[in-house]
Amino acid sequence: MADFYQTGIIVTLHRLGRPSLERIESEMVEFSKHRPIALVLPALYTEFQAPALQGIIDELKKVKYVNEVVLTLGRATDEEFKKAKEFMAQIPYEVKIIHNEGARIKEIYATLERNGLWAGEDGKGRSAWIAYGYTLANARSDVIALHDCDIVTYSREMLARLCYPVVNPNIDVVFCKGFYSRVTDRMHGRVTRLLITPLTRALQKVVGFHPFLVFLDSFRYPLAGEFCMITDLARVNRIPWDWGLEVGVLAEVFRNYSPQRVCQVDIADNYEHKHQPIAGNGGKGLVKMCVDISKSIFRTLAAGGIVFSDGLFKSLEVTYLRLAEDTIVKYEADAAINGLVFDRHEEAKAVEAFANAIKEGASTFMENPMGTPLIPNWNRVTSAIPGILAMLKKAVDEDNK
Amino acid sequence: MEKFSEILFQPFRDFWQWFVKFAPNLMAMLIIIIAGLILAWLIRLVMLRILRVINFDTWSDKVGLTALIRKGDVWAKPSDFFGYAVYLLLAVVFVMIGLDALQIKVIDNLLSQFLLYLPRALSAILILIIGYIIAGFLSRGVLIAAVNSGYHHAKLIAEAVRLLFIILVLAMALVELTIARGIVIAAFSILFGGVVLALAIAFGVGGIDAAKRIIEKAREEKKEEKGRDIEHI
Amino acid sequence: MEKVDIIIGIASYNNAKTIGHVVRAVDAGVAKYFPDKKAVVVNSDGGSTDGTPEVVRNTAFDHSAIFLSHPVYPAHRISIPYNGIPGKGSAFRAIFERAVEMGAEACCVVDADLRSITPEWMELLLSPVIKRGFDFVAPLYNRHKYDGTITNSIVYPMTRALYGHSIRQPIGGDFGFSGPMAEFYLKQDVWETHVARFGIDIWMTTEAIANNFKVCQTFLGAKIHDPKDPGADLADMLLQVIVSLFNLTEKHFEIWKNIRGLRDIPTFGFRYHVGLEPVRVNVERMLDIFRTGVKDLKPILIEILGPGDFGEIDALIGHPDKDFRFPIGLWVRVIYDYALTYHRKKMSSEHLLKSLVPLYLGKTASFIMEAADIDHDGAEAEIEKLCREFEERKDYLINNWI
Repeated sequence: MADFYQTGIIVTLHRLGRPSLERIESEMVEFSKHRPIALVLPALYTEFQAPALQGIIDELKKVKYVNEVVLTLGRATDEEFKKAKEFMAQIPYEVKIIHNEGARIKEIYATLERNGLWAGEDGKGRSAWIAYGYTLANARSDVIALHDCDIVTYSREMLARLCYPVVNPNIDVVFCKGFYSRVTDRMHGRVTRLLITPLTRALQKVVGFHPFLVFLDSFRYPLAGEFCMITDLARVNRIPWDWGLEVGVLAEVFRNYSPQRVCQVDIADNYEHKHQPIAGNGGKGLVKMCVDISKSIFRTLAAGGIVFSDGLFKSLEVTYLRLAEDTIVKYEADAAINGLVFDRHEEAKAVEAFANAIKEGASTFMENPMGTPLIPNWNRVTSAIPGILAMLKKAVDEDNK
Repeated sequence: MEKFSEILFQPFRDFWQWFVKFAPNLMAMLIIIIAGLILAWLIRLVMLRILRVINFDTWSDKVGLTALIRKGDVWAKPSDFFGYAVYLLLAVVFVMIGLDALQIKVIDNLLSQFLLYLPRALSAILILIIGYIIAGFLSRGVLIAAVNSGYHHAKLIAEAVRLLFIILVLAMALVELTIARGIVIAAFSILFGGVVLALAIAFGVGGIDAAKRIIEKAREEKKEEKGRDIEHI
Repeated sequence: MEKVDIIIGIASYNNAKTIGHVVRAVDAGVAKYFPDKKAVVVNSDGGSTDGTPEVVRNTAFDHSAIFLSHPVYPAHRISIPYNGIPGKGSAFRAIFERAVEMGAEACCVVDADLRSITPEWMELLLSPVIKRGFDFVAPLYNRHKYDGTITNSIVYPMTRALYGHSIRQPIGGDFGFSGPMAEFYLKQDVWETHVARFGIDIWMTTEAIANNFKVCQTFLGAKIHDPKDPGADLADMLLQVIVSLFNLTEKHFEIWKNIRGLRDIPTFGFRYHVGLEPVRVNVERMLDIFRTGVKDLKPILIEILGPGDFGEIDALIGHPDKDFRFPIGLWVRVIYDYALTYHRKKMSSEHLLKSLVPLYLGKTASFIMEAADIDHDGAEAEIEKLCREFEERKDYLINNWI
């Protein structure tokens, strides 16, 4: 990315010139003395069998400013947990693995549930949330960074750039989201390109000016899974546990902080991870994701005072379709000039599927406006069960012995 | 020859007779223990049911009891944990009763001593628990009051109060257990008196300056310009 | 018992020195403003040993001194000892009983130690009831900007945020109310509780607004009373007021959780500024108690506030005296967290509320320094900001009320 245009109302940090990794890392070592960083890695056990994770570990071994790594492991047996532990032992600084399927952590979830604080179904949202809890309980870090474990093109520069705006006391940002272009021989990132951006703009046309829509539209890649934040945010955020996670996090950041303290940073020239196939209605994969995302957006807007009606949703669908089709035309030209493969038919099919997802999201939202489930924030949890953080710390520490 | 066989078989006969006499006791013991274990198990189930109904687990989460047992790396539900503890206790009691049925003198003595001691042990535990709670409560009250009156060593006073009270409670528990009563009372008097004296001296010596400052300050305050204090309400 | 129109209640306990003045002012006020009404002064006495009831009976007031014609019904005076738990609440109960028995149309209560009461107070407290049909008349006073800090930093903003009525002095102590209001008070089953001892002021105000009675305020001028017992402990005072406030919050959850926004209430009386005595404050000492409190009470405060908000408070103790400021958002979270802890009964209420004293002193010191160079209106504007903050964060209280 070579331009330096500031998008929207948040701060955008570009990748300009050839920034030196050595310089940024040596600065990070200094900053992190005052604002120690915890790196949270949500991972499934299957990812331990894929090559991407070894690449990430190899990079993390060389990082000198991370205070602790908290890997929150899903869908693993006790045996697999042990293997994961051995695998992670390659990292020379403190690593804790949260064994979400283990007896102790399960008991933590059960304790929450019987106190009316349901933490949601197993998934990235809940895993990340429990990792925040552990970081808070450990009280050793002031900043939390998070990225996925399926990034094939991972480099430690990504991590440095992601954390830099939050740990640098002169920038004083509370939340920083990564962005990048997802290009191989073609453009990826269809949900962002063809769902979120056209949907946000369609909503702006239909409901008029709303600060959250402007905020959301400011993000170049709202679905990026990489972000960094101060631990206080982890304390006050209520996050959805379904696919609405990324949008939900943005909504909470928007609710609690001024947009001037939010930024996005260009973290990589090239980014690749595994792709999701588009599945049929109601199935897993992208469609479910799109339904959750639209619901999450509707809910946030409803909480902001927007009144939704069937009529509004009808015109929204039409407006969306029109905007999404225009977008395809734009990207087709973009692909042509860059000599990229562009399957117009596939893109049109995706838009059709997304339109259906919006329709479904709208109807489930109308049936049950409070339907998008939110995990309670840690402040609330600790006030309901005073000893919960100590319990969580004990559970994780025992598991990691 | 007959005599020899007599000598040879007599012990067996004796053993048989003893066995015939003893067998019912053995049977009784087995029945008591087995039935007792089953009963204890049933009581455990009933107790679990009751604990579930009264939401014992959430109560325990809220007051911090759960956090306490988690510290000991126990990850069962609090109700399960307490149910199991009760089961174990009952099991021990039934095994004891069962052993009693054997009517062996040594066991009898041991048992009666144990049973006599049981209530004392329980009440000693109760004294310790209640004492611990009261000590915390008292010292917290003292701490808050001392802080609010602007005393800089509030924590010290509160800890002293807690320490004294816990010494008192420990002594009470030991007396209840009838462990070397005389020594306990003597030791307690010495310790308690010693702590009080030490504190008195510490506050006295350390407090001379403080007292001087306080008096001087009070005098200065009196001299301060006239006017009324603010009304808080 | 014969029917009367107006009842003026004065609760007393060893107020022989001041009650004569109060009775004279009441007499003159009734005679001047309600000459055609039958009025009775009810002195409800808690067993004074200094002859307070005698003073009430014997205070002479020569009507001819200020009036050209005598009133039709000069006010009678009765002095009754009350039974039950000793306290201002029980005294008021006896007054409410009289009001209901005698079928009074309008009543008012005034403190027995007032030095600044004038005959006009009768008009100001009673006319809204008699002429405008209000059920409850709350007082408004001119006070020094440093005075009434518990009211200004906790009771007023929280009551306003909860019930959406902007009653500036919910614990003023001098109120006017209608006969039906007195009957309503009397019927409530609180006379064996703490309300009978203290907290009657906030209770009367809150019940009136929570139960949709017609409420107004009236401007009485300055409130100057006998210096309070210097031995009166701030911690006890705070405990009493806040326990009452929190108990009412507990009781009316179903009402206040649905209330949004702010209803303006009518204000009577002529606003004017009066000169006020200077007030002596010792900010250093307040901050000293705040700092030792935060350090020494750390485990208790963490239990109440959670580690996050405690961390923010802990960060404040490093500030030098002159830059010390207690952020208002944080203060609101503190008060709401105390309300929630009280609601969950996790701690003895005495310990809970007494542990608020150091934080309250920190907040008060901060307010005094902020208000040092601003005038009365500026100080009011600061309080207004605090109220907004309480209103904005009300959702926090509602959502965590489990």
